[in-house]
Amino acid sequence: MGTNLIPVEDICAYHHVEINFIQSLEDFGLIHTTVKKQSLFLPVDELTKLEQYLRLANDLEINLEGIHAVSHLLNQLQNMQEEIIALQNELNYYKQLNQHH
Amino acid sequence: MDYIDYYKILDLKKDATTEDIKKAYRKLARKHHPDLNPNNEEANKKFQQINEANEVLSDPEKRKKYDKYGKDWQHADQLDAQEQQQRQYQSQGGGYGGNSYSGGFGGEDFSDFFSSMFGGGGGRSSRNSPFKGQDYNADLQLNLLDAYTTHKQTLTVNGKQVRITIPAGVENGQKIKLPGYGAAGVNNGPPGDLYIKFNITDHPKFKRKGNDIYFQEEIDLYTAILGGEKIVETLNGKVKLKVPEGTQPDATLRLKGKGFPLYKKENQFGDLYIKWQVKLPTNLNAEQKELFEKLSKF
Repeated sequence: MGTNLIPVEDICAYHHVEINFIQSLEDFGLIHTTVKKQSLFLPVDELTKLEQYLRLANDLEINLEGIHAVSHLLNQLQNMQEEIIALQNELNYYKQLNQHH
Repeated sequence: MDYIDYYKILDLKKDATTEDIKKAYRKLARKHHPDLNPNNEEANKKFQQINEANEVLSDPEKRKKYDKYGKDWQHADQLDAQEQQQRQYQSQGGGYGGNSYSGGFGGEDFSDFFSSMFGGGGGRSSRNSPFKGQDYNADLQLNLLDAYTTHKQTLTVNGKQVRITIPAGVENGQKIKLPGYGAAGVNNGPPGDLYIKFNITDHPKFKRKGNDIYFQEEIDLYTAILGGEKIVETLNGKVKLKVPEGTQPDATLRLKGKGFPLYKKENQFGDLYIKWQVKLPTNLNAEQKELFEKLSKF
């Protein structure tokens, strides 16, 4: 096992989740796994996302289609949050100008 | 610690059924789940409370104890033992002055599934599978000049010294992720990540808008009218600028590529804008006044 790869089998056992669920997440383009020596691995970078999808499924009983939609909306939310930060900084610039005058 | 009313948290009556509790929990969890409320500390706290309330009320044994002992429900076993002891003591004819519990309530960490398992302390630590450690969050204050250049800084995160490189051009409020600087993983699993949020303080002179820098510079009336040179201080040193004749008050000069560095884009910079503030002469002497009067007649 490479240092940056986790066996999907281990993840499934630990989270009590079927491998089909992880494969379905991949089919939806939500995570990316990799095959090495005929075994399926998940890159460590993908783990946070996978955990999030598992929580959405387990805690809130959201199905795969729902997770796909939520993921899309969360990405939009993140983009908007970044835009808000940029706009807040721009607003701060104008506030400083007003104070200066 | 203060008593926590779990029924109130889940907006339930004391006689709520198991189904009522489940419904109330699901409804509130959908609203406050941290995965649906990124970067929202308030929702995070609320979700923990909801989880804790659900943990207690959805478990018949815990709920029974909670209803019976209220804020001391966690010590119910000890209270029962005390009651037993008291009964025995009294039956032996002795007196009993009583013993009050000052112990607080709560303290249990009902974090989400993964954190509880991989952040250590979970009941499943006997497993041998490797899992990622918890992520850490930290705030870092910088001034504008700090953010102008790539530099190294040492932070103390959870008692450990972490030396990081801060790339030039970071924005106020921006978060960066440092993979592997979080809590240690479990069973040789990878460590968690460190998220750093930058808070950049305002500069008294230089104002930043995106990657552009703005500031105001004074010139006297004669330089504005006749033109001349002016040495100004910029973020990376002094520059000599030519002031064209007939420069109007508030006229702006743009120096392309002399502004703020673009984040993680080597040798790319925003622009620098200098607004000329024309300072009018005051306390004119008689001769100066006369000259201005002559000028005004042209």
